[in-house]
Amino acid sequence: MEVTVLIQATDEAFRIIEESKNRALEVLNTSVRFTADAKLLEEKKIQAIFKGAERTKAEVTSFAATFALLFFPFWLPLSGFFDLFHLGIGVGCCALVAYISHDLLFVNVRVGDMRTIVKRFFAYIPWLIYQIIIANFHVARLVLSPKMPINPKIIKFKVKLDSDISLVTFANSITLTPGTITVDIKEGEYYVHALDEAVAYDLLFGGKMEDRVAHVYMEAEHVYVQDVLDVARIYGALR
Amino acid sequence: MIITYEDIIIRTLTRVLAPFLQIYALYVLAHGHYSPGGGFQGGVMLGASMILMVIAFGLDTTLKRLSEKADTILFVVGLLLYSGVGVLCLALGGNYLDYGKLAEILPVTIAKARSLGILFIETGVALGVMGIMVSLFYDISTGGLPPAREGR
Repeated sequence: MEVTVLIQATDEAFRIIEESKNRALEVLNTSVRFTADAKLLEEKKIQAIFKGAERTKAEVTSFAATFALLFFPFWLPLSGFFDLFHLGIGVGCCALVAYISHDLLFVNVRVGDMRTIVKRFFAYIPWLIYQIIIANFHVARLVLSPKMPINPKIIKFKVKLDSDISLVTFANSITLTPGTITVDIKEGEYYVHALDEAVAYDLLFGGKMEDRVAHVYMEAEHVYVQDVLDVARIYGALR
Repeated sequence: MIITYEDIIIRTLTRVLAPFLQIYALYVLAHGHYSPGGGFQGGVMLGASMILMVIAFGLDTTLKRLSEKADTILFVVGLLLYSGVGVLCLALGGNYLDYGKLAEILPVTIAKARSLGILFIETGVALGVMGIMVSLFYDISTGGLPPAREGR
């Protein structure tokens, strides 16, 4: 009789121990899972903070660049008053507009490239003016000759430029040159109205203007003679 | 209704021009008492820059930039600024919009106070004109319906 009770009690004790072990394991597992979750969450939070900081930094940079490089130098000659009151108004207004629209200017532009682009752009303008003068004489000859040998047509062609601003610069350069007008850009294809074939061939199919524009905006896929020369100069300086 | 048209030339040039248009508008506003211009002209230019953005980028993008609510707040603030300065002069014992009386609460001479007062009310006029212009344009381009009812 006593033996049976003893055996029963031992069984019970073993069962309780087993149960408690299982429970302890469960608790341990849960805690491990919670720790992992917490760690993941924390990592995500840190990542979010980093990402936010990066975005904020980019925003602050573009804000400061818009304000200091473009707006304030634009405001000063407009205003013409250099006393404290007017300068204060100027700083306020420029900061306001820079805050509202700093994301409009300087899209997808690396800060380091900006200096080169501006320099090359100003170097491009005299060449463009020279082209405009040449085209002026050509169009004048066409119009003044008694037969008026014009042959207007719309030409469709593809270009190898890819950024928005270079496409627009090229389009407006074409429009500025007498005899040709950019009608539309659709999916990287230009529709250009030309007064006669010679104008169009000079401008478009020589590819000179396109190459120059690509050079100005440093379109990555193409290597131009000027780029090679620039590199050669730097290489020489290094040696 | 304004149909958004993907014209790369217009979009890029708007991107570049609109901020400078706003700067020029604020210049015209701030120098209205020295040179031609003033509150109305500056406000019209500010409004025109927003309308240009609606034309180039479409209504939805522009509404994200300046919502109808914010626009309403802007022109109400403009009206309050104008009438507030007027009533303040009245309260200080002068006539309505008698800026000279502002010298009693501002640490400046009477002449300077008049110039400052004009600047204040011109800012109010500019905000009002810009807000009303943009609001009218929004109304015209949605056909007067609130955007939600068109399924946007």
